[in-house]
Amino acid sequence: MTRFLCRVAPMLAVLLLTACSASNMSRLEVADDGEHLQLYSNNGLLASRLSVEEVRRKRVNDLLYLQATLENGWKFELDFQYKIKWFDQQGFELAPESQPWRQLVMAGRSQANVQAVAPNPSAVRFEIWVRE
Amino acid sequence: MRVVMAMMLGVALLASGCASKVEYGDPQARETVTPDFGSSDLQMIATKMVDDMMVFPPVAELTRNRRPVLFVDRVKNKTSEHVDTESITDTIQSRLINSGKFRFVDMTVVDRVRQQLEYQQDSGMVDQSTAAQMGRQIGAEFMLYGNLSSIVKRDNSTKDVYYKFTLKLLNIQSGIIEWSGEKEIRKTRSRSLFGL
Repeated sequence: MTRFLCRVAPMLAVLLLTACSASNMSRLEVADDGEHLQLYSNNGLLASRLSVEEVRRKRVNDLLYLQATLENGWKFELDFQYKIKWFDQQGFELAPESQPWRQLVMAGRSQANVQAVAPNPSAVRFEIWVRE
Repeated sequence: MRVVMAMMLGVALLASGCASKVEYGDPQARETVTPDFGSSDLQMIATKMVDDMMVFPPVAELTRNRRPVLFVDRVKNKTSEHVDTESITDTIQSRLINSGKFRFVDMTVVDRVRQQLEYQQDSGMVDQSTAAQMGRQIGAEFMLYGNLSSIVKRDNSTKDVYYKFTLKLLNIQSGIIEWSGEKEIRKTRSRSLFGL
């Protein structure tokens, strides 16, 4: 029996390890309504390690141009994806299917600036979504 | 007892191994099946190029009061793999058009447009008051063109691919490059101990 367990245990360990590699969805949403910054999180591990330090925005040729400073508060490297959703005055999302998830790797306890330009001049508001 | 347990485990593994299913996924999700050029790379390149071009001050100045007419020449694929570079430029073109800042002429359909114009003008089938006139097309002012190159390095356990996409905006009349953008992508595949 012991020998059998010795044979099976590594197999089970491998199966468990592969099961753990499934993507861990986390959400951190920054909504900018032009006056104040709202922060939403679904209490994910990523959201607890990541914070938005500052959001800057300006209009370049009628297009909203944003820069968000993200901070990795964890001491290890953080590898995640982010996506920026743009909304018009009436709350309609602009070009929802053309905004890709972008990859970002941040060293431990570091800051990174992410930048994006609105797809067209009607954008007045944005949200930043992150996931692992 | 041991034999029964081993058989049950074997059957379970076989059953899961045979399972096959088709699912729809998020087309914008990160794709890392292989280090070869993929959908995520295409999307990252298109987004970066359009964002860079839109906020470059001289380009912003060009589009402040008018919508310049562009045409896409082509992006040379200098990598060792097959990459549909037209697909990249199509995405860039769509985004530029949808920004409301640029207009495009499509040089890939010139022959078919000419055929249609000739049909409207010469076939006698079309009411001439509605027929499109020859010689009224708008000439492109700028040309978009570029390169996609790669450097691939590998050893027994690691494959490293570096892609560089370069796009340029050239003023056809003056020959001046008004803007140039670059996007670099590095992808590394390393095999783990068990080959999983």
